[in-house]
Amino acid sequence: MKTKIEILLASTLLLASATASAQITDYQSVTEDLLSNPPAGDWLNWRGTQDGWGYSALDQINSENVGQLQLVWSWAMDDTGAGEAAPLIHDGVMFLPGPRGVIQALDAANGDLIWEYRPGITPALEGSNAKALGPDQLGDAAMPATAFAGVGRGVQKNIAIYGELIYSATENASITAIDARTGLLVWETPVADPALGYYYVAGPIVANGTLVTGINGCERYKDDVCFITGHDPLSGEELWRTSTVARPGEPGGDTWDDLPLRFRAGSDAWIAGSYDPIANLVYWGTAQAKPWARAVRGTAGDALYTNSTLALNPDTGEMVWYYQHLPGETHDMDEVFESLLIDVGGRQSLFKMGKLGILWQLDRVSGEIIAATDIGYQNIVNVNPTSGAITYRDGQLPRIGQQIDICPSTSGFKSWRSMAYSPQTSAMYIPIALNCELATFGPTERVLGGGGTGPVRRSNYPHPESDGNLGEILALEIPGGEVKWRYRSRAPINTAALTTAGGLVFAGDWDRRVFAFDADDGEVLWQSRLSTSAQGFPISYMIDGKQYIALPAGNGGASWAASLPRELAPELRRPRNGNSMHVFALPGK
Amino acid sequence: MNKKTLKFVGYCLAVSAPLSLNHSLAQTDSSIWDGVFTEAQATRGETAYSANCASCHSTDLRGNSNTPSLLGMSFMFIWENQSLAELYTKMRNEMPSDNPGSLSTQTYEDLLAFLLRSNQFPAGEQALKADTAKLTKISITPKPVFSQ
Repeated sequence: MKTKIEILLASTLLLASATASAQITDYQSVTEDLLSNPPAGDWLNWRGTQDGWGYSALDQINSENVGQLQLVWSWAMDDTGAGEAAPLIHDGVMFLPGPRGVIQALDAANGDLIWEYRPGITPALEGSNAKALGPDQLGDAAMPATAFAGVGRGVQKNIAIYGELIYSATENASITAIDARTGLLVWETPVADPALGYYYVAGPIVANGTLVTGINGCERYKDDVCFITGHDPLSGEELWRTSTVARPGEPGGDTWDDLPLRFRAGSDAWIAGSYDPIANLVYWGTAQAKPWARAVRGTAGDALYTNSTLALNPDTGEMVWYYQHLPGETHDMDEVFESLLIDVGGRQSLFKMGKLGILWQLDRVSGEIIAATDIGYQNIVNVNPTSGAITYRDGQLPRIGQQIDICPSTSGFKSWRSMAYSPQTSAMYIPIALNCELATFGPTERVLGGGGTGPVRRSNYPHPESDGNLGEILALEIPGGEVKWRYRSRAPINTAALTTAGGLVFAGDWDRRVFAFDADDGEVLWQSRLSTSAQGFPISYMIDGKQYIALPAGNGGASWAASLPRELAPELRRPRNGNSMHVFALPGK
Repeated sequence: MNKKTLKFVGYCLAVSAPLSLNHSLAQTDSSIWDGVFTEAQATRGETAYSANCASCHSTDLRGNSNTPSLLGMSFMFIWENQSLAELYTKMRNEMPSDNPGSLSTQTYEDLLAFLLRSNQFPAGEQALKADTAKLTKISITPKPVFSQ
């Protein structure tokens, strides 16, 4: 890698700070074909491939030798917010997204910093018409001072790479493009007003030459709704915008009864989608309606297009089909999460799992349901395994002020921690948090700027089938849904899963442990311990014939699940800081 | 305000009384309506809130998808009839969520004062102190209907 990097004596505005920066000199442009058929040694999409498998075709590290894995390098990241990094790899460079919009390019063989981009500080590329928001506009730690809805914990999950640019979506509701070779800002497009509560936590994907991104921060009552946009990757120009909420008077608009637009909240698109280049469809999930409980939000209607999978044409934004997993959802049971595109049993399928732990199989061309497999831990709904229709169990519909006993808790069994698929075993590997909750839903003010999720008096308790464990990796064969194996841990599983052609599954837990499992039988073949909770999206890559496993650690929250260990496993302790990246490989290769 | 909204507000008012039965009343011999913090504390607390809490709970205290609202109906739904000691202890032990217990005792006192002022509880002459025994005796209650 060192031959690819040249130290530049800074000759631009950076000279003022008397620093030196480096750049990648023989960068190879990332084409659409490369995104669709990435080399095994690269990791070009947030889940490796556009189909979202979370699978590496590398097999140098395998079930025979994984026990020899050792740390090669580690890198401390900013501790200004929650770390849930989903890094990319291209030609031996790691592009690492950190909290609050920071992106760093590291030599992926040894961890040397090549460049870093800092919002409001890194200058724009010379000749670019980009206007970088300065620190005054961004405020401390890039937080908009005027935001009435807050910007959460500064999460920046995934970024995208295409052509010569790295794309990110910011907590200021902008999309930015930075030069992959230098880290300089090329353009920044404000997409929504952060003062209204809009912000991003999920980054873009590139589909058929369009940059596609879904927005977050739609829980407050305002005179607009959540949406997914398509942008020109070269200029940042917005090409289309598709609402994730059916507006009054539009098709599906009556599923919110007669609630005005202002009170149609939620349907945030806070997890990045997948892309099928053959069907030319982007698959993007939406979150539940807000406030969470029907009785609080004032409609028992289906509330389209909340808690749905949307199939969008990336050229136009047209919604080709949608499938609503939980119509009129009423407990904060998100279905927003990742879509895995798998051809199995002769069907071009899309697999997805939400907080309830129901594995949905859809026909990804038509949107028809193929199967719904309940993993059997939830006590809220009955689901028809073939039609996918759900009915709420007796006594489980929340009423204001009345306590109900629900499994899972509002943390969910499954959350943002993506599952992975292995074609070798035809199995899904699903990170699970086992938990239940005594919940009492309360009212909220129906006024402009109000709304939100609605208050909940909550008391978490361990799942009755958990034997005191909060974490599980569930290996589920598809399409039948047979349990292949379960691994239980006292701490919740806190990373996405990574599968490899070496017959391995990698994941980590809240208690700083990271594991390599035998994908076939779940045996723990290797484990180590990180500086703080394993948190984020593990990946694998290869440089000069050597395979690496990159395992992120992170702190600072990560949804409601962060409260589970504190309440239910108080003997587990973790440091207060420690966002970081840890890279492992076999010795001597 | 349309008919449905009126109906909703009416319903919320109707349920607010029974809700209080779900909480065990704090052992109260001091009223939160007598002024249990000073204006200076609340003002300092406002600054501390901006620095330490607003990024999650929002500048207007109404929270977001991952953080509860600390204001109005939502605040009272969670905290009505619980003691200031319980609220203080939760703040002290669990907040800020990325660095629990990291603020000074005075800052936690100021933050509690700001939280109370934001929810229309009156300031007074006595400074709020992190004295659990005293805070246990102050219950978070709705404004009395009849006051002298």
